Amino acid sequence: MSVKLEKIVKTYYDGLEEGKLLGRKCKRCGAIEFPPVYACNTCGCADTEWVEISGKAKMTSLIMPAVLSTRPENNDLMPYCFATVEIEEGAGVNAMVQGVSKKNRDELMAKLPVDVHAKIIQRGEVKTVIFELDEGE
Amino acid sequence: MNQTKLNKYSRSVSIIGVGCTPFMYTVDNEETNGLTEGELFGYAALKAMENAGIEPKDVDFYFHGEASPLNSSNYITPNMQVANWFGMKGKGSIHHSEACCTGYLALEQAVNAVASGKYNCMLSGCVEFGDSVCVENHPYKREKLEMGKFLETTKWIYDRCYTRQFMTGSTIVFDDAAQAYALKYHLTDQQIDDTLNHMSINNRRNAAKAPLALERREYADLAKEAGFDDVMDYMRSPYNPKMGDYLRVGGMELKCDGAAAVIVCATDMVEELTHGKVTPIEVLGIGSSALEGNTPHLEIEGTKEAIRQVYEVTGVKPDEIDLFYANDFIITSHLIAAEIAGYLSEGEGWKYVCEGRTAYDGDKPINTNGGRTSFGHAHAASGLADIYEAVMQMRNECGERQVKKLPKTTMLRGFGGGQNLAAIILRTKEL
Repeated sequence: MSVKLEKIVKTYYDGLEEGKLLGRKCKRCGAIEFPPVYACNTCGCADTEWVEISGKAKMTSLIMPAVLSTRPENNDLMPYCFATVEIEEGAGVNAMVQGVSKKNRDELMAKLPVDVHAKIIQRGEVKTVIFELDEGE
Repeated sequence: MNQTKLNKYSRSVSIIGVGCTPFMYTVDNEETNGLTEGELFGYAALKAMENAGIEPKDVDFYFHGEASPLNSSNYITPNMQVANWFGMKGKGSIHHSEACCTGYLALEQAVNAVASGKYNCMLSGCVEFGDSVCVENHPYKREKLEMGKFLETTKWIYDRCYTRQFMTGSTIVFDDAAQAYALKYHLTDQQIDDTLNHMSINNRRNAAKAPLALERREYADLAKEAGFDDVMDYMRSPYNPKMGDYLRVGGMELKCDGAAAVIVCATDMVEELTHGKVTPIEVLGIGSSALEGNTPHLEIEGTKEAIRQVYEVTGVKPDEIDLFYANDFIITSHLIAAEIAGYLSEGEGWKYVCEGRTAYDGDKPINTNGGRTSFGHAHAASGLADIYEAVMQMRNECGERQVKKLPKTTMLRGFGGGQNLAAIILRTKEL
């Protein structure tokens, strides 16, 4: 099947409005692209299909916000860190993780990777995805 | 991750000329306030031709690099706006823009054009006004580009569909490599902080002896002025505040204005073009990678791939590298890139840094011009400024900052916030 001219980005954001995280699964090798794009970056196949992402993930590194990286418009999301996150289905992204502060930073660093889950939030006109520490972490 | 196998060039290509302006805050100084893009680019281009001993008629085509022409210069075809300034009117040109990696890929463009056989002699130049923006409707006046506005516009180098919405790609980059290094090699917070500070000190020691550098006051002197006997106490103090989770002010780029240029030609034409007056520096190979801003550890992973490619195609071994440069607009870059290249021993490089062995007078010199934290960062032009410095070092023309052992083989690792990576290997050509 050849690639179709398709609104991948809009479909992803429409999914967030419905409370769903969407990715694309490669029909050839099974790798997941999250966030979704046309072709598989693992094997190069353009034959991919929509798949719902569970939201379960692991935080594999964490950086605390500082002078250079703090944005006042995100104060309502505190406490948070900037992190690398690997979703259960295998893809990796840089994303915010809520629940991390200077108080628990060192403890979490020592425990990496740490279980987190996706959280859909409203930012301006659209919804977006951040992650949150699992209970007990 | 996807990998690329490079082929050898169809013919050998060498650098025969380099030119560079001082890196400067043009609007802060009466002597430089009012300089324009044509004047900066034209100066670097003509100095490179003069350095090669050639004239504009000898050059077939030119590339023009600029990271942010619309933002800083109100241009969308900036190669045309400098075209009349260096005697090449009517010759073809192309503009390219790869954020802070532009200057390294500027060499790639020119080398490919000659290696293909299409052109024999190329100019590749880059210019940037990183510290100022145009005053609308005025022919030469500019005004300061404040840091807040600059940071606001850096979002333009990140994907708007996803990466900006994840609110992390543009910020994690400040500290990601430092943390990854500290975690991997079990450095304490104090050890990684001291390592970053020593890199800033080493860069500044180099810049102190580089006449074209922007900031030449050594940290030891600044510490004394501020009443500190020990420079490290100064580096750990509020005089050098933390701006990131790990990154301090001294480890950040000094964004500024400047231009640099290089002339390359077919190696078998060096004698004919330069009449035997120039030591050619052969471009053995250039590896490259690009990882979009939401890719975890993109600088580390992209550097690995670019360096893997260039070692594979050239057959050069890490222990053959005599001199190393890394675009360190975030200071950590020069440590992690040098280790990935095998120039410094894996997991041991931080000790070399802290012992001062990576300064110009050490046994493993890095960024002998002072790097982005001291030489300055005129974004697109920085890569070619590093190539200028590398060529000058390889020709033994650096005076008091000349490294101890004349370098025969040099690696430069380019990196841009716009997420391109490049690894270049240069070698002095014996004719």
